[in-house]
Formats: sequence, structure tokens, C-alpha cells
Amino acid sequence: MEKTSKVNVPRRPIWTGSLTIGLVNVPVKLYPMIYDRGISFRFLHKSDGHPLKYQKVCTKDEKVIPWEEVAKGYEIAKNEYVIFDKEELEAVKPESDKRIRLDKFVDYFSVDPIYFDRSYALMPDKSSDAYSLLLTAFEKKGKAGVGRITLRTKEYPALVHAYKGAIVLTTLRYAYDVVDPQGFEELKKLKEPEKAELDLAVKIVTDLSGEFDITEYKDRYRQKVEELIKKKVKGETVVVEKPVEEEAKGLMVALRETLKQLEKK
Amino acid sequence: MKEKLTKVEFTNLDKTIFPKLGIAKAQVIEYYIKIAPKMLGVLENRPLVLTRFPDGINREGFYEKDAPQGKPSWVKTVKIYSETAKRDVNYVLCNDLDTLIWLANLAAIEIHMPFSKADSREKPDMIFFDVDPEPPATYKEATTVALLLKEKLDNLGLESYVKTSGKKGIHVLIPIVPENSFRETRNFVHKIGEQLAKEQKLVVSEFKETKKPGKVFVDYLQNSHGRTMACPYSLRAVPEATVSTPLEWSEVKKGIKPTELNIFSVVKREKDPWKGILENKQRLKV
Repeated sequence: MEKTSKVNVPRRPIWTGSLTIGLVNVPVKLYPMIYDRGISFRFLHKSDGHPLKYQKVCTKDEKVIPWEEVAKGYEIAKNEYVIFDKEELEAVKPESDKRIRLDKFVDYFSVDPIYFDRSYALMPDKSSDAYSLLLTAFEKKGKAGVGRITLRTKEYPALVHAYKGAIVLTTLRYAYDVVDPQGFEELKKLKEPEKAELDLAVKIVTDLSGEFDITEYKDRYRQKVEELIKKKVKGETVVVEKPVEEEAKGLMVALRETLKQLEKK
Repeated sequence: MKEKLTKVEFTNLDKTIFPKLGIAKAQVIEYYIKIAPKMLGVLENRPLVLTRFPDGINREGFYEKDAPQGKPSWVKTVKIYSETAKRDVNYVLCNDLDTLIWLANLAAIEIHMPFSKADSREKPDMIFFDVDPEPPATYKEATTVALLLKEKLDNLGLESYVKTSGKKGIHVLIPIVPENSFRETRNFVHKIGEQLAKEQKLVVSEFKETKKPGKVFVDYLQNSHGRTMACPYSLRAVPEATVSTPLEWSEVKKGIKPTELNIFSVVKREKDPWKGILENKQRLKV
């Protein structure tokens, strides 16, 4: 078993406000729940090991430009921009009204996971009783509330639902942000499978059916990089070994067998 | 030190070669690795002609006589002057496993071999009967003719070997001591074809009759310098990924189907019906 270091619970909420259903108001704090735990590297100067920094350089005269002189531009045609001041964009920013209004309740499983964006934990903000009541209601009915929330500068559709004894908010993607796969040419050329082939495919699917367990999947690249880091820290030299491609592994097995046979001759 | 099993550097292993069956190049190479012990003996010292399909069999392939550019130094070749091209052509010789794997990695799906070896090119060591059905005649009609042919050769005291072409035809061969000319082996096959044509109305023996619908041509013309056939256990560039498979005569009699003999099934066949073929060289009384 691999030891999975648990993600610590975040200390500070990133948003506070209230969950509103009709006339009921439940003050809540919102904490991030999702972390992308990839391994991040910094770029260094190879010869002296110092970190590199980025600078904004004007493409016209190659001069470094300070922040005060930076504006935002929207490209309306090739190399043609309309320019915005920071204040102009600030003025049209959606104002968060610090409310998550739930308009209706739907079956949680009726929302396709393709729309799920990011999940946040909602915690009671001196409102344990109301929170507990709402949570229990969610759990009992197996329903999820649909509403919207404004985080930073963006307004999201959101789903509020029970997860492991907590109320969780999952932001959703807009319909226009998701590709309709029926637009792919490839799908138009699909043929109806023949019955014998279909039977075989169905059998394979049946044989391989099982329970989903996310912990069966590990980030193997991350594990390997972590091993390398440990070795480097200890001062061991790291031998760069080109891994055998996945497809080539079968070939190696066949090769060993054939070489054995040829030797016998 | 990691053991190195082959000198070949594999490339583009996931390239699809047989799209209908979803077979990638890795599986083609695996096939040739597995079949190699049965294949290599017959190929030895024969200048090969390759049909390569780098983008899969649905894209245009190409014939290749000249050893391709970038050939590693350990691949053996033989230089032969080509009358048609008016220049020397460097043919590949496949005498070891690494060369066979290298060919497979080049997507040389079909490997064609001549009926004589590089060191005695004018003296064939095999006589070749290409039993070739013309539609609507099929493999079934070819079987009938091949069995008649075997009987005739048996009566002459000649032991013959049979394989599917991998398509519709049947290949019948007799290994011989390399002492006759191609003209002599060609005439021999032609004569046998004429006799068969007299006895069985399915058979035609003359080149000008080859396109007669529903007939089976016993092709003698391939017994010539520079002509080739798909070698035993060569894959064929057809959607079903069939193999030109050496058979027992009893299997031909039972009506084994060429489409059942493919990249997956042939490696599972235990016996090699052509085992020792080149140790069974016979003499032709001309």
C-alpha cells in the first residue's frame, strides 16, 4: 500500500456569504477542496543555479515595461486592439452579492459530470443548526440544489449537494464551454456493428465490470519524479534510462522466447 | 547492464497497419518475431523483394528491391545487376532474426523470395507451381487442382510441399538439387500443367488462357530468374491479415480455409509442415 499523504484542511475560507433558499438564509464559509498536486519545477540559470524571473518586454523596442504602463487589449483583428484601462474593466466586474441562491432542486445524478468544474466545501459560519438541518435534508432526499455563485470576477452555475457528511458546492461549466461531440466528422462515418462482434464486445465489458475505486489510480510520473528527487537530495547520481515503450514490452517477451528457440536449433 | 535483445531500434509501434482488424505495427513485428524460427531457414541467402506499407495497407504501399536508405551496417545485402533498370540493385538478405525484425519495423508486410539462392542464381533449388484461380473460380477450385497436381507428382516419385498464397491461390513446391536451369524447371511445370489440363477441364496451362473466367491456371512462368513468390509465413497486405501458410496435404484435403490462417492463428500452429524442406532436395529427370 502506498501512503497517501492527506491534503490538510485549508485554514482560510476564500469566500464568505450565505446560502439562500426562499426565505431561509444559512451563513457559510467556502473553502477550496481541489488541489492539483502535480510536481512543479522552477526554471534556473543552468550555470549558477539561480531562479529566473519573467519580465514584460515591449515587442516594438524590446524595453522592459513596468506594471504602471501595462494596459489590457482585446484583439479585434490581426494586430488591432481595443485598449482598456484597469478601471474600465473593474467597473463592469460582476458584483458578488455574497449569496448562493438555490433556485431549484434536481436529482444529483441527472447532472452530467462533464459540466462539473471545481468543488468547494461549505462550512457553517456560526450557523451550525441551520447547516445541519440543510445537510440532513440533502442527504435524505438525495437531491442537489442548483443556483449561481460569483467567485472573484466570474459568475458560475453551481450545484450544492451533500458529500461525506458535508455540504459541497461544485461550480459548473456553461453549456457553450463544452464541445458537442456530434460535431466530429468521425462520428458520421460510424457503422452499425455486426451482431457477433457486438456480442463479443459486450462480453468483454461484462467480464471486466467492477466497482470504481479512485485509489487504484496513482500518479506514476509523480512517484518516479519524487524518487529521483530523494536520490538527488541524498547525492546519488541519477542514471537516465530510456524506458521501454509500453508496446515494446510484448515484443521483448516474444523476442526472449524466439531467441531461446533459435538457440536450440 | 541491461540486456539487449535486438539491434533494431523500434519506431512508430502504434501505427495502424491493418485498419479493419485494428492491428498496429507492434503486432506485425511480434508476429514476425514469433514465426521467425519457422521462417528463417528457407529465406537464407535469397535476394528479397519487399512490399512496404508504412502508412498501413489502406494507403499505397510500394515494392522495394533496393535495400532502403538508412540500412544499418549489419544488414547483409547482395549486389545484382538489373537488366531492366540498367544498374546494380542492392538486395537485402535475411539470414538472421535481427534482419527480419528490422524488415518488420520498416512495415515490409509482404516478403517475397526467388526460387534460387544468391550464390547460384541461375540454378533454382525449388520448382514452383502457382495454382491460380480466375473468378468465379475460388480457392475451392484451386484446392481440387492442387490435389490432382500432388497425385501426379507423387506418381513421378516427387515429394511436394504446399502452402496457401494467403489470397485465393495455392502454391506447390518441390525442393530440388540446384543443377537445372530455370528454362528446364519452367518447361517441366508447363508440361505437367498441359497434362492436367487434358485430364481436368478446370485447368488451363497456357498464359493466353489465364483470364478465362472460372478456370484455374497452373502458372509455370514464375520459374524464371528474378521472379518471386510470397515467402512461407509472409503476411499478406489484405484486410484480413492472412498469412501465406505452409500446410500438410491432409489439411488441404480437409478444406482448411485461407482466411482462417491469419496473423493471430498461424503462430498458434505447432508443427511446421515445411520443416526440413531444403534437406529434402530431389532430382529432376529432364
